[in-house]
Amino acid sequence: MVYDLTSLLIQLLSGLSRAMMLFLLASGLSLIFGVMNILNFAHATLWMLAGYLTYTLFQFFTATMGESGWWLLPSTFLATAALFALGCLIEFVLIRRMYDRELPEQLLLTFALILIIGDVIKMIWGVDNLRIYMPIEPMEFFDSFVNPYSFVVIGVGVAVAAGLWWFLHHTRYGKTIRAAVHSREMVSALGIRIGAMYTAVFGLGVAVAAMSAGVFLPIVPIGLGIDMDLIVQCFAVVVIGGFGSILGTFVASIIVGVVYSFSVLIWPDGALAIIFVILVAVLIWRPWGLFGTELRS
Amino acid sequence: MAMPAPAKETTAKPPGQPDLSLCVGLFLAPAFFLVPLLPGEYPVYVATEILILGLFAMSFNLIYGYMGQISFGHAAYFGLGAYATALLMQYLQQETGAVGYFGFFLSMLIAVPVSALGALIIGFFIVRLTGIYFAMLSLAFGELLFYIVFSWYSFTKGDDGIQGLLPPAFFRDVYNFYYFTLIVVACALLVMWRISRSPFGYTLRMLRENAQRAAFVGINVRLTMLVNFVLAGAFAGLAGSLWGPFQRSVSPALLGWHESGLAIFMSLIGGAGYFIGPVVGSIVYTGLYAYVTRFTDYWPLTIGVIILAVVLFAPGGLLSLLDNALRRLREKRDGDGERRERKP
Repeated sequence: MVYDLTSLLIQLLSGLSRAMMLFLLASGLSLIFGVMNILNFAHATLWMLAGYLTYTLFQFFTATMGESGWWLLPSTFLATAALFALGCLIEFVLIRRMYDRELPEQLLLTFALILIIGDVIKMIWGVDNLRIYMPIEPMEFFDSFVNPYSFVVIGVGVAVAAGLWWFLHHTRYGKTIRAAVHSREMVSALGIRIGAMYTAVFGLGVAVAAMSAGVFLPIVPIGLGIDMDLIVQCFAVVVIGGFGSILGTFVASIIVGVVYSFSVLIWPDGALAIIFVILVAVLIWRPWGLFGTELRS
Repeated sequence: MAMPAPAKETTAKPPGQPDLSLCVGLFLAPAFFLVPLLPGEYPVYVATEILILGLFAMSFNLIYGYMGQISFGHAAYFGLGAYATALLMQYLQQETGAVGYFGFFLSMLIAVPVSALGALIIGFFIVRLTGIYFAMLSLAFGELLFYIVFSWYSFTKGDDGIQGLLPPAFFRDVYNFYYFTLIVVACALLVMWRISRSPFGYTLRMLRENAQRAAFVGINVRLTMLVNFVLAGAFAGLAGSLWGPFQRSVSPALLGWHESGLAIFMSLIGGAGYFIGPVVGSIVYTGLYAYVTRFTDYWPLTIGVIILAVVLFAPGGLLSLLDNALRRLREKRDGDGERRERKP
């Protein structure tokens, strides 16, 4: 293989779109962990569920109201809303009971959700990989062809990152959430209903993931088991960036995504091993991550 | 962070009451001995798996139940042991045609130092951290080893795994191998029991409750943690060494985090606060798996619901349900005593 500039650029593009997917998943994970100290193992599984839901909605819309790639928009929106509701429900019914439990028990609960949701998906949608074919012409880009949809994906990722950052730093709700990351006792002493906030944050985190599932459906085929690969990489992203830091998660996603897509070029089998080498190095050197601070010990 | 756990009342066994783990163990030992009386080879096969995975879960619980840290990559040492045995057996098969008894025992014994060495090197870094960082670093190292085994095709056969591991004639018999496994696991459990009752074992509990105070009284916290980590790795390696000859094959999945998760499930289902808890968890998990999968394809759903029920309604595991029931009986009899959360 010749490593010319064009192929490197294309690899960079694919790395960046992968990075955005990881970011959209990991930011919810990081937010939930930062606020509630819950490591939601089922995050990628909920993402996967959203993907299947979006797929079905998309098929429904195209079948009843004519073929158009634009149906992805309402499908994604509806799936995101549904997953927001499901996320709130899960927090309210299950996660709520786990706040004063130890980490392994929390992991066990969310792992049970992985198993249950995964099997429910298998019951409803079967075991085939699903994807949406978008009628998009490849675009010429530096003497080569790329899918212009990659730019949409990267744009959405950056927009969500900026939106989340703005929400957390410049709105009242966001500031309250950040305050809760530092001291939930103090926030609740100020008369803020911490229970309702936890429910909303969990729903929000799941919704961000759900949205990314819809956005990525045209380029990432969705299938059973994909959640397992993703969740471990998301952990890597969250840890490298630092728990609870949106900026850190964003930077770490780009590092992991880009490093992965270039490693695939050089050493296809060991691409993920390189990610874990980075993770190990970061944990040894700065256990709290590149942008995190050693808050709670 | 929830870790390290807030200091709880230390749970020295009240005088005059039998230790629950000991009772359960004394009940299980003859039960395991008599399993081959059941009709067919299948129960024996399942019981072998229960024992091997039980030992693996027990080794994990040295780190979690006693030291209070979560190793999320514990399967790495299980897998290292399995691969050490498998590779040596394969080498002997290729060189001499078949594995002799000496070669077989040597292949199994080599797994323990290999896993211990792996745990020593990796543990050196891991014990510097605690809580979620301990869990994450162990996960990262575990996955790293998984991908090394997965992609080092020339040495480990990568994704294909190593097939056709034939133990010597005597151990090819399901019943003989079962009793062999039973003896090995029983001996390992006795050693672990001895460790858990030794000053070293109590030092581990002390680290779990309050590592800072342990340091104040002059305990070398990191060294103690490292020694325990290596011990846990060695026992996991022993369990792994039984796996290859039992399944006649090994695959990289043995090092993956699903396998690590298995040890965590078993410990928590059975009761991580009890010495024998992981074995009980293995009986429940492996036993259910062996029989439920005959009736339904939806095994994950089944075990998912069971795990959910255990987490919500039996925190502390199944043994704690039994423990609480017994305690209520005693309270009714004696009219006093308080409920305590139990740790080993």
